[in-house]
Amino acid sequence: MKLSAVRPITVLVTRELGIAALLLLGVSFVVFVILYLSPGNPFATLVTRIETAADPGAAAAAPATWYGQYFTWLKNLFKGNLGNSIRTGLPVLQEVVRVGINTLYLTIGSLLVTLLIAVPIAVFSARRGMTPTSWSMTVFTYVVSALPVFWLGYIVIYISIHRFGLFPLAFGSSAGPWNWFYFLLPVLVLGISNGTISEVVRYLREEMKRVFAEEYIVTARAKGASVWKHSFKEGFLIPITEIIAAKIPFILGGAVVVEQVFNWPGMGRMAWQAAQDRDYPLIMGITLVAAIIVRMGSLMQRVVHIIVNPRASKE
Amino acid sequence: MRRFSQYAFEISDVSHVSFWKKAGPMDRVYIGYGLLVVLLVVISYLLGATGALPYDPQEINLELIMAPPNTGGHLLGTDFMGRDMLSRLIISIQAYFLPGLLAIGIAIVFGTCFGVFAGYWGGALETATTYVSNLLNSFPRLVLILLMVAAFKPDIYYIMIIVGVTNIPVVASLIHSKIQFLKQKNFIEAATALGLNNCTIIFKHILWHNCRSVLIIQATLGMAEAILMETSLSYLGFGVQEPTPSWGNMVQAGSNYFMQGKFWPSTAPALAILFAIMGFHLLGDGLNSMLERKGDR
Repeated sequence: MKLSAVRPITVLVTRELGIAALLLLGVSFVVFVILYLSPGNPFATLVTRIETAADPGAAAAAPATWYGQYFTWLKNLFKGNLGNSIRTGLPVLQEVVRVGINTLYLTIGSLLVTLLIAVPIAVFSARRGMTPTSWSMTVFTYVVSALPVFWLGYIVIYISIHRFGLFPLAFGSSAGPWNWFYFLLPVLVLGISNGTISEVVRYLREEMKRVFAEEYIVTARAKGASVWKHSFKEGFLIPITEIIAAKIPFILGGAVVVEQVFNWPGMGRMAWQAAQDRDYPLIMGITLVAAIIVRMGSLMQRVVHIIVNPRASKE
Repeated sequence: MRRFSQYAFEISDVSHVSFWKKAGPMDRVYIGYGLLVVLLVVISYLLGATGALPYDPQEINLELIMAPPNTGGHLLGTDFMGRDMLSRLIISIQAYFLPGLLAIGIAIVFGTCFGVFAGYWGGALETATTYVSNLLNSFPRLVLILLMVAAFKPDIYYIMIIVGVTNIPVVASLIHSKIQFLKQKNFIEAATALGLNNCTIIFKHILWHNCRSVLIIQATLGMAEAILMETSLSYLGFGVQEPTPSWGNMVQAGSNYFMQGKFWPSTAPALAILFAIMGFHLLGDGLNSMLERKGDR
């Protein structure tokens, strides 16, 4: 491939942004279709509620056609008006953003925990091959990723109450020296048993082994140059961003359960409550925000990929 | 000029070493354990379906509440209403076995279709399937299920349809990349030159001879996914409802007594979940390294 054929990075990144926007439009459409098909026609009611809330004077009625309803909803969506929660009457967007921050802490924190456990094991077993040590560590990752996250949560809560006299269900209410503890426990639990560690280890190990066997790494090794420095981009950076982007949805899903166990006031618990109450506007808002978070992760992965290897523009 | 025998070799990729011999020692342990779990699950499903259980799983015995294992003829003890733990664990497999197979079926069938469209024909179809795959990947599965539960009703079959649909992109991308890899080899070209129609090439030469193992592995991993989702949803109270036992709602019911130091009623189903999911993961990964990496070790 000629160098002139490589398009500038800004163009590629803009293209990725466009794709992400298109996908989010598709996400909104899927959410609309699910609600539109649900019995009792809740979507028309929702659109009417949004319209009357925006303009109380007008006697608003939902458009009769499905695309009319969808576009009215979409128009309000772009204005940031997702309607009010049926249960609390508060505007959905503010509510979701308020608790979404907590979920973001939980998700990013547990992602770091997962990587802190998985990366050393992957690097070790890629470097040393299958020794008894790396084998036992691999089996450990399988056990840990099959642990039911709620059960681990109960064990951790029980131990912390009975051994340390701490009550990790009191989120944010305790301004003491142990405040960090209440944040740390759910993050640790979700990070350990979100069910992705074994996959992360496997993927990283296979990719690293593949790259270590590539000819340019063999050359680097023969020259006495640093293998790490040469294999970092292809063998570590790209696989790790790929696996992070692919696992964000799983960790967000696990967050629903962990927030339930630890009483963590996040998006997952709110989604659970909304599903119990059939609070349509709220659960729609949560789904949209969760999809935006996932798309941000993939966008980050694509941008890293493009910066590392601008030739991979066509994919 | 290559001889026909070479093409023939490429078509089926047959080597005369059996798969079992090619597997590394750990892979054999993994697969052996996984097959044991599959066998146990199938036997337990049949036991539950025929009703051949040691006790009636709904029978309440208030004189023997939360008995530890191996008391009064109850091999795994009893739960908070004195119901036999072992029978409830066995009958719980009903909760995910058939729904899980439904999820796997959806993922495999539609994923294969998407993968073949994208890989074999390419072009606009490839763009469209990539878009749909990315779209399905944008939703966290549990959140999408909660939306579905709010819009329709908490039903295990609805939940498993979502699990299957959200698994489509995984299967599709695997089949897609496999076909792209196969297209570099000459046998598809040779088959086209021989005048075989697309149907034969896709179903016989591509899917049956070369994608079989990928699909089996994905089916195995899909079952682990189904168990995980069923238990999580039942734990949250949206899956199987209380008098009918499932591992998830058994953990949930037992958790009320966890803080009093009575661990067993929620630990027994939790261990069942642990061993089952681990079995399916190990089986999938063991099969993967045995079938997919040829002559690597």
